[in-house]
Amino acid sequence: MAEVTLQNACKTYPGGFRAVKGFDLRIADGEFVVLVGPSGCGKSTTLRMIAGLEGITDGTIAIGGDVVNEVRASDRDIAMVFQNYALYPHMSVERNLSFGLMRRRSHRSRLRALLSPDYRRKMAEETEAIRQRVGEAARMLGITGMLDRQPRALSGGQRQRVALGRALVRDPRVFLFDEPLSNLDAKLRVEMRTELRVLHRELEATMIYVTHDQEEAMTLGDRLVVMNEGLVQQVDTPTDIYHRPVNRFVAGFVGTPAMNFVEGEVLPDGSFRSGGATLSLGDPFRDVRPGKAVLGVRPSALLPCESGRGWECRIVAVEHLGDRVDLVLEWEGDQFISRVDATREFAEGASLWVEPGSGEGVHLFEADEVGRTLASR
Amino acid sequence: MRSLTGFIQTLVILVAIGLTLWAFARVAVREFQRIRGGGADSVELVVMHWAGGGGQQEDRIVEDSLREFERRNPGITVRRINPGDSGQYFTKLQTMMASGDPPDVFYMDFSRMPAFVGAGQLAELDGLVQVDDYFQPTVDAFRWDGVRQGSGPLYGVPKDFTTLGFYYNKSLFDRAGIDYPSDDWTWDDFIAAARAIGSLDEGTTGAEIVTWDFVLRAMLWTEGTDILDADGQLVTDDPKLKATLDRLRSWRFDEEGTLLGAEAEGLDPSSLFLTGRLGMVGPFGRWVVPSYREIPPPSEGGFEWDFAPLPRGSVRANTIATVSWALAERSDHPEAAGKLLAWLVGPETQAAQSRLGLAIPTLSEVARSDAFIDEGTPPFNDLAYLDAVAHARVPAWPLDREFSLQFSRWMDLSLRSNRDLDRSLEGFGDWWERKQASPLSRAEFPAMPWGLLLLLVAAATSVLLILFWFRRPAVPAGSAEPSEARSGFLLALPWLVGFLVFMAGPILLSLALSFTRWNGLGPLDTAEFVGLGNYQRIFGEDRTFWQSLKVTGYYVLLAVPIGQVFALLVAMLLNTTLRGIEFFRAAFYLPSVLAGVGMSILFIWVFKSEGGMVNSILEPLLAPLGLRPPEWFNRDAAWFGVPAFALMNLWLIGGSMMIYLAGLRNIPAELYEAASIDGAGPVRRFTSITLPMLGPVLLFNGIMALIGSFQVFTQAFIMTGGGPGDDTRFYVLYLYSKAFELYDMGYASGLAWLLLLVVLLLTVLVLRTSGRFVHYEGLRQ
Repeated sequence: MAEVTLQNACKTYPGGFRAVKGFDLRIADGEFVVLVGPSGCGKSTTLRMIAGLEGITDGTIAIGGDVVNEVRASDRDIAMVFQNYALYPHMSVERNLSFGLMRRRSHRSRLRALLSPDYRRKMAEETEAIRQRVGEAARMLGITGMLDRQPRALSGGQRQRVALGRALVRDPRVFLFDEPLSNLDAKLRVEMRTELRVLHRELEATMIYVTHDQEEAMTLGDRLVVMNEGLVQQVDTPTDIYHRPVNRFVAGFVGTPAMNFVEGEVLPDGSFRSGGATLSLGDPFRDVRPGKAVLGVRPSALLPCESGRGWECRIVAVEHLGDRVDLVLEWEGDQFISRVDATREFAEGASLWVEPGSGEGVHLFEADEVGRTLASR
Repeated sequence: MRSLTGFIQTLVILVAIGLTLWAFARVAVREFQRIRGGGADSVELVVMHWAGGGGQQEDRIVEDSLREFERRNPGITVRRINPGDSGQYFTKLQTMMASGDPPDVFYMDFSRMPAFVGAGQLAELDGLVQVDDYFQPTVDAFRWDGVRQGSGPLYGVPKDFTTLGFYYNKSLFDRAGIDYPSDDWTWDDFIAAARAIGSLDEGTTGAEIVTWDFVLRAMLWTEGTDILDADGQLVTDDPKLKATLDRLRSWRFDEEGTLLGAEAEGLDPSSLFLTGRLGMVGPFGRWVVPSYREIPPPSEGGFEWDFAPLPRGSVRANTIATVSWALAERSDHPEAAGKLLAWLVGPETQAAQSRLGLAIPTLSEVARSDAFIDEGTPPFNDLAYLDAVAHARVPAWPLDREFSLQFSRWMDLSLRSNRDLDRSLEGFGDWWERKQASPLSRAEFPAMPWGLLLLLVAAATSVLLILFWFRRPAVPAGSAEPSEARSGFLLALPWLVGFLVFMAGPILLSLALSFTRWNGLGPLDTAEFVGLGNYQRIFGEDRTFWQSLKVTGYYVLLAVPIGQVFALLVAMLLNTTLRGIEFFRAAFYLPSVLAGVGMSILFIWVFKSEGGMVNSILEPLLAPLGLRPPEWFNRDAAWFGVPAFALMNLWLIGGSMMIYLAGLRNIPAELYEAASIDGAGPVRRFTSITLPMLGPVLLFNGIMALIGSFQVFTQAFIMTGGGPGDDTRFYVLYLYSKAFELYDMGYASGLAWLLLLVVLLLTVLVLRTSGRFVHYEGLRQ
C-alpha cells in the first residue's frame, strides 16, 4: 500500500496536443480516488501516466514517496484493470491470474533448475505459493470453478472478475482501474460496483479509478477528481462535489438529471431577473455583486409553486420514475427539468408555475466561460 | 446521385452482356464460316511462326510475304500467329495440335521434327518443292526414316540455316598484337588467342564457350570423336572423347582469365560480347548478327568484330542448325497450304529474309547472291558460313529427346561445375542404359479406353447426384428456402460450370493421363494405357525425380522458415507509427508485384560469382579466414544453389508480410500493456502475446509458403534452367521439362499428381498438429 502524489503532471503529445495540463493531487494510502470527466478530458491519460504506460512530459509522479517518472511499468508495483479486460485469450484463467506472479519469481531460470536440485526445490515452492495465492483470489471473487477455462468461454461479468483477480493476486501497492465496468450491462455494473466497494474496504488498498460515469464515480470514490480539458476542476468528496461545485462545469457534470441553467442578471436587491421574470432568491445570494450571472437549479430543487411567483412553463413531457416524476418544461425557449413527487397528476401541454425551492440545490455562477461559483445553497 | 449510380450500374451490366454475346457470336460466325466455306471459293490458312533474334523485323518480313502471296493467289487468305519466342511457340503449337486444330503451315526446327512426325502431325513434302538447289545437309536435316535423321521422307523445307563459329573482337586482337583467325584456324590458335587477350588486363577475358548439346557435339567432331557411333549407340569410353572434353574443362577451370564461364550463371554469353571486354564468343550461328550489328564502330566507342568458322582439331567439322516451314498432316486445305509453303521457301521470300542479316538462305543460289553476301557490313566473312557447309553434318539424336537434355546436364557437371569427368560420363551412360531398359521405352501398349472411362465417370456422377438428391435435408412446406436455394444455385451456376469445365475437368483428365503414355502432340486417342507404368518408373528408375524432390525439399526447409521469420520481423518493424511508414510498407511490398522474370535477371547479377553484389560483400569478410565466397550457381551449386534461391525468396515476402502486419494490428494494445504491467519484458511479450495471438496467421502463411515453395519455377527456369547438372532442378522445373520439352505428358501428369500428394500430406500434417500451438478466436475477444 502506498500513497500516490502527482505534482504538476503534464502530458503533451507529439504534434502539440496537451492532454493533461498540470495535474496536482496527493492520494492517501488506502484511499479510493475516482477520476471522472467527459471523454477526452485527460483522465485516462493521467491514469496511464501513473501506470507507466504513457511517458510524463513535465512534473513528477511519486508512488510511496519514490518518484517513478523514469521507472518502467513493470517495476512500479501497480496493477491495472482494463476496460475490455485485456485477458490473455490463449491462456487459461489460472495462467492469466498467475502470469504476473510467475514473471516476478526470484527463481525462474529453467536452466539453473535443470542443474541444481536446490534451485529446483525453491522454484517448486514458489510455484506452489503462487498457486495458493491464485486460489485465494479466485475464492474471493467466486471464480474458483473457472480456473481451467479459456477466457472465451466466460461471460462478460466473469471475465471482469478474472481481470480483477489478476490485479488482486499481485497484491500491488496501487490498483488502477480504467473504466472497468463500462462493458457490462446496467444490472451487472451496479452489482460489481458494490463488490468493488467491499473489496476496497477489505483490502484497504490505494485505488485509482477512472470513469466517465458520474453516478459510478459518486457511489465508488472516497474522493472525486473532476477533470475537463486536461485540467482538474475540483477534488472533493462526492457530497461536497454535488452540493458545493466550484464552477458551472462541475455543477453541470455531476448529478442526474443535469442541473438547469438560466442566464440573467443579479439586481442590487439580490433578486435575479431573467426574461420577464424576477425571482427573489434570499440567502446567501443577497451578498452577490449585482451584474450578469447564471442561475443553476438542481431538478429536485425546481418546484411547482403558486401562479405568478416564478416562471410560467409549458409541460413538454412527463417521465414517470415510480415514486418520482421528471417534468420536461419549456420557458422562454429554455428547457428545464423538474423532479417532483408523484403525488400529483401532470398533463403534457399544460401550463405550470415553478420556482427554485428554498432548500439545497440552488447556485449562482459567474456569466463568463469558467463560470466560477458565486454562491450556493 | 442515386439515379446516376443506378444508370452507371445498368450501363456496366448492359456492356458486360453485350461483350459476352459479341464474343460468342464472333466464334460462332467464324466456326460457321469454316464449316460452310470448307473447299469453297474462299480458303483461310493459318500460319504460325516465332520471332527470335529478328524480332519485329522478322514479323514484318513474314507478314509482307504473306500479303504478297494473298495478292498472287486470290481466294486464299492467310492468318498469321506469332506467340513470341520459340519456347512459347512450341507450347502453343503443342496445344493447338492436341486440340486437333493445328496451323496449316508453321516453323519446325530440326531437333523436334522426329517427335512431331512420330505424333503424326507433319505431312510428307517430297515432290511439293524442288529441293535440288538447296544446301543438301539442310534438306537432309528434315528427312526422317523413323530411326535416324538424314534419310527418308522430307517433313520440312528449310527456310534458313546456319553453321557455327566464333565471333571475335578485332579491336582486342589488335591490342594483343595477334593475327585475326583464318578460315583454317585450329583450337591451338584459338586458345593461344584467348590466353593472349585474357592476360591483357584485369577486365578482359579471352573467350566464352557455350556447351549446348549440339554445339558440344560439333566440337567433338572436330577432334574426330562423338558420343554416338555410326549405329547410334552411346560411346563414353573413347579416349579422344575424354581428352576433348577434359581440355575444355581445363581451359575453364585451370586457367585464370581465359574462359569466362558466364553461361553457367544464367548470364547471356552472347550479350557479354557487346561489352567489348570479351575476345571471342561462340560457337554461335548467324542468329546473333542482328544484335551485334548494333555495336557502334570504334570511333563511337565500340569495336570492330567479325566471324570465324569453328576451329579445326584433327579434322575440320561443323554442324548445321536449321529451321523449316512444315505442313500440318491434318490441314483442311493441303493444296493451298502446299502452295503457300512453296512460296515461303522460294527465292523471293528467302532473299527478303536474308537482308535482315539473321538468316542464311538455304537456296545456294540466293545465299551466294548479294542478297546475303554483303561486304559493307559486319560480319565481313559471310562466305565462311557457306564454306563450312562442305564439312558440316546434321547432328542425329536418338528419338528419345531426353538423351540430348541429359547429355547437356551430365556434361555441365564437369564443364560448368568442375566435377570429375569420368563420373559424369559414367553417370550419363548409366542413365541411358536404365532409360532404354525401362518397359516404357519399348513395349507397345493398348490404347487408353477413353469411352469406358467416360462411362465410369458418368456413372459415378449419377450415383452421387442420386445420393445427394435422396439425402437432401427435408424443407418444411411453405418455407421460402427452396426458392432461395434455387436462386442461390442459379447465381453460382456460371462459376460452377466454369469450375467443372476449366478446373475439375482438366484435373481429372490429368489423373487419367498419368496412367498413359501420351506425347501431348496428337489428339487424346493416341494415348496408350500403361497402368502404373509411369509411377513405377518414377519411383524405380528415375533418379532425376529423387534429385528434384531433394532439391525442392532442401528449398522448402530453407525458404519457408527463413522467409516467414523475415516477413514477421519486417512486419513488426513496419508496425509502428513513424512518419512516412507508408512509404516503407509500399517499398517492402513492391518486389512482390514485380514480374518474376525481371527479378530473376536482376538476381543473376546479385549472385554472380565474380563481381556479384553478394560476393562483393562476402569476399572481404571471408578473406581473413582464408575462405572464398561460393560460386552460387556454378562450381558450388550443389550446396549453395538452392540457398541462393531461398535468399532470393526474401525479396518476395511482401504478401506474407502484409498479412502479418494485418495480424499484428489486430492484437489489442491492452494485452501488451497488461503484460508489461505484469512484468513481461520485450522478449516475453513477443513469445507470450505476439506469437500466440498470431497463431492462425502463422499457420495460414506457413501453409501458403509451403505450397508456394513446392511450386518454384520461374526463378530457376530463368536463372539456372535446373543446372548445373541437376543441382537446382526443382520439381516443377522437371515436370515442365517432361511435359513441354520431352513431350512425355503422361509421365508429367504422374509427376504432377505426386507433387499434389506430397503437398497435401504435408498440409494435412501441419493442420493436424497445429491445434497445439494455434489459438483461434485469439484475434477478437
